[in-house]
Amino acid sequence: MLAAQLQPLAASVFSLIAIASLLLAFVMLGSRWLNDYLIAFAAESWLIAILSAAVGYYGHYPELYLIALLTALFRGLLLPYLMLRIVRRLHVDRELHERLSPSASLVVGALLVLFAFVVSSHLGESLGLAGTVAVLALTVMLSMKLIGFLMLVVRGEALSQILGLLVLENGIFLGSQILVPGMPLLIELVILFDLLVVVACFGVLVRYLVTHTGTSSTHELRRLVG
Amino acid sequence: MIGSLVAVILLAPLAAALGCMLLAQARATAFLNLAAAIAVLLAVLRLLPLALSGPYTFCKGYLIVDPLGAWVLLSVASVYLLASIYAIGYMRAHGRTERVHRFYALFAGFALTTLSGPLMNNVGVYWIAIELTTLVSTFLVCFELDRESIEAAWKYIVVVSGGISLALLGIIFYYWGGSFHLGPTYDLTWSTLRDVAPRLNPTIALTAFLLVLIGFGTKVGLAPMHTWLPDAHSEAPVPVSAMLSGALLNTAMIGIARFIQVADAARLGSLPRVVVVVIGVFSLFVAALFITRQSGIKRLMAYSSVEHMGVITLGFGFGGPLGIAGALYHMLNHSLNKSLMFFGAGNAMQAFHSKRISRIRRVLCAMPIAGLLWLAGAVAITGAPPFGLFLSELTIMRAGLMGPNGWATFVMLALLIVIFVGFLNHFRAMYFGADAAPELAPRPVPAKFHLSIWCLLPMWMALLPLLLLGLWWPDAVSRYFAVIATQLSSAGAP
Amino acid sequence: MRDILLQIAQVFTVIALAPLLQGVILQWEERVQRAQGPGIFQPYRDLWKLFHKQLVVPETASFIYWIAPVVAFTCMLTVPILIPVLTNFPLPQSNMGDILGGGLILTLGAFLITLAGLDSGSSYGGIGSSRAVMLGILAEPTLILVFVGITLLAKAMLPFVVNHLLVEQPAVYWSPAHLFLVAAFFILLLVETDRLPIHSSTHIEVYMIDEARILEYSGPLLGLLRWASMMKQFILYTIFSNVLLLPWGLSIRGTALGALGAAVALFAKFLIVAVVVVFVETAQSRLRYFRYQEPLAASFLLAILAIVANQLR
Repeated sequence: MLAAQLQPLAASVFSLIAIASLLLAFVMLGSRWLNDYLIAFAAESWLIAILSAAVGYYGHYPELYLIALLTALFRGLLLPYLMLRIVRRLHVDRELHERLSPSASLVVGALLVLFAFVVSSHLGESLGLAGTVAVLALTVMLSMKLIGFLMLVVRGEALSQILGLLVLENGIFLGSQILVPGMPLLIELVILFDLLVVVACFGVLVRYLVTHTGTSSTHELRRLVG
Repeated sequence: MIGSLVAVILLAPLAAALGCMLLAQARATAFLNLAAAIAVLLAVLRLLPLALSGPYTFCKGYLIVDPLGAWVLLSVASVYLLASIYAIGYMRAHGRTERVHRFYALFAGFALTTLSGPLMNNVGVYWIAIELTTLVSTFLVCFELDRESIEAAWKYIVVVSGGISLALLGIIFYYWGGSFHLGPTYDLTWSTLRDVAPRLNPTIALTAFLLVLIGFGTKVGLAPMHTWLPDAHSEAPVPVSAMLSGALLNTAMIGIARFIQVADAARLGSLPRVVVVVIGVFSLFVAALFITRQSGIKRLMAYSSVEHMGVITLGFGFGGPLGIAGALYHMLNHSLNKSLMFFGAGNAMQAFHSKRISRIRRVLCAMPIAGLLWLAGAVAITGAPPFGLFLSELTIMRAGLMGPNGWATFVMLALLIVIFVGFLNHFRAMYFGADAAPELAPRPVPAKFHLSIWCLLPMWMALLPLLLLGLWWPDAVSRYFAVIATQLSSAGAP
Repeated sequence: MRDILLQIAQVFTVIALAPLLQGVILQWEERVQRAQGPGIFQPYRDLWKLFHKQLVVPETASFIYWIAPVVAFTCMLTVPILIPVLTNFPLPQSNMGDILGGGLILTLGAFLITLAGLDSGSSYGGIGSSRAVMLGILAEPTLILVFVGITLLAKAMLPFVVNHLLVEQPAVYWSPAHLFLVAAFFILLLVETDRLPIHSSTHIEVYMIDEARILEYSGPLLGLLRWASMMKQFILYTIFSNVLLLPWGLSIRGTALGALGAAVALFAKFLIVAVVVVFVETAQSRLRYFRYQEPLAASFLLAILAIVANQLR
């Protein structure tokens, strides 16, 4: 397995990129301004693209360069641009109704990272991979998923919920680059484009939401109960 | 031969979808969709006996035709046909002609993605097919563009996308576990996964199974991940509700069935099956609670879907030839029955202009024939003889008593009785009950409400096979299920 | 013998140079704001003045009033024994306590001063104590987590081991775990030494946090308290520089010349850190009280990320 036999320099590069992505996810969690979210998300996508390229270089997977380029273009440029358009059209620029203040959600997110850390240490020990970058990749992947779900639960703005889902996908993508870099190219490409379709659908849906409901805060969606 | 049938199954809805987008005319698109549905059902009926002779793979191993997939395709195709027929009457009654062609285009696209699920051999591509069904059906759910349906569509897409991203994580875990033995690059097909399962690290296999169960369980609508289901199924237009309940849930269920097989092959002990059984029982419990206290007619049907998906999960969780046979029979019967119920609910909504149960009274005065059919469907869906669901539930209970999770059978029995009473109580009130309080008095209806033949015919077409399958469990079907059970058991062949 | 002298020299360095550090920081802040500034030796003159003033004790004061300044000062004398101030090898008594022990001793001093604030029964003392404790609730767990992170980094609880590790292996110095610890500790440094955005620079009592606790003190006791707080600042800067950020420049063999050079280098390092602190303080305004959790939550988060990033080694 690639992650088990890496030179120290490569392992440090991977771990630095992974931790920086996690930090950016926390920046998204801890800020109220939608523009900050988008910039953090774009930066995170770029970091993951650099990680893909690094994995391709050190692991001798040339097709990962293509994936890296497409990730940088689609997730790093196109998706934030589409969402920026949605933000401009909706005239919302900050999160007004969240259930948990940003600092409290930072603390909860840190506790979730601890949980992911414990789980992946346990997994790493049972696999004999403890102390390699694979365990760190697992931690970052699981904690980004948990942070994504936290964002979905805590945030009320429609756009924040879309970003929560995208953080979920980013986490999986990051983990899969380090853990399973040899995954067939077709699957990776389709997952990448699938994300694009998801955001396009969300864009249309948010437009309907604002037109027919008058607000883009999902806390107003409370008519269907029971 | 099989290849051409598969091509028909996939290309007919695709052609219909494209044609509906281009034609942009209400009548023509309705019949185009109907033609595609008829073609698909005929192809599937021809495919069924051919699939019996073992799994065939096409397109460099990306498509697979095996008996389990063919059976699920049968239920999907029959619901597609019934819903297409009903849709003609429904869309005409609702009078919107300028967007109807988009409806049929989306409907055919939805059918395409649902039909492609059981045919996918590569696990990753199967996941993508499920994700696409979510995306296409979201726009169908919010088709009527009022506040409630957009809210339902939003909840649907957010909850289900979040859930199946967990399933993607589980699939990545499986791939990772397999990469220790099969090298870094390999095709993750169902058979490869089954073959490598005994060698997988138990922790990875267990974690991956739980993630996949929760992930695809969100799509199937098992409690506690069912929260999107009542909203989406109740706010969608009636033909879409029927497709969602009858077809889509089965397509997601096949994934869970195949993953249970992988978990068995990985020899993880009894924990995976216990978890599956517990989730099934919990779904029944939640459904029972919400059915007894329910005020909306379509939400009632949606919770009944949760209940029946719980029963099917219990069938697969109990396992063995009886359990699998019961679950598969239940799939087909539930698809037919749920379509019947949704069509009846749609007709009642047209007659009484309300979704609330308290406003629907004296149904037999308004629509005698459809009302009788609907009442028969209600008796069927709560599991009473002589209809098909009774036989399948009985089979599942027999399987449960034979296995290690016998306690679940008694809980299931108790909850099914509760649901029987609760569900039929609502129908008693609607058919024979006194009027509600004077301030909620239903609006006066015409002595006999004229229901289009397009809305009545699918109800007959759903009820008669249901009755037939309840009275007679064909031998051919038994043999079919035996083959599937052998293939799904861990000792089985590919 | 020489080592014992070195250890005493460490304590004296802390006592002697603490007011100078405070003076430098205040002078630079004034200069940045284009004022004249009181000169860098002003804290010495203040202490001299305080020790020659009359002591006025409130009638309601109890024994805590008397022992709190003494204990706080003594704690600040104890901690320099444990941490690398002048030398990078452990001195005889320095395994009396490890990093966590040092942190706990620092907290003991702050705890007694908080009690003293409540002791005399004045309302401003109560306000100051309650606010200080509130900040403590947010900051102390983070401080302990940072110490845990440092421990996990070096797999040992002695600060000297961490120092050696960072000097000898640049890969560890630049690893994310270390960088996050530096960032987390920097935020805590700002909080514990009462700098903006946590501190109020006006002398209006309702805004005070730490100073309100010592409003009842006068004369030599106030001098001791002021000196103790300056020494606490010096000690925290020492931990920050010598253990985490700039672990170079410590005497290796313990000669007199080396010790002197180490003291000079120490002060040079502090000047660098002080520049950054002055910059941060000048560029920000004071946060409202209910927003104090935000930088502390960020610090908590960075500490946890540092612990997680340790998995690699």
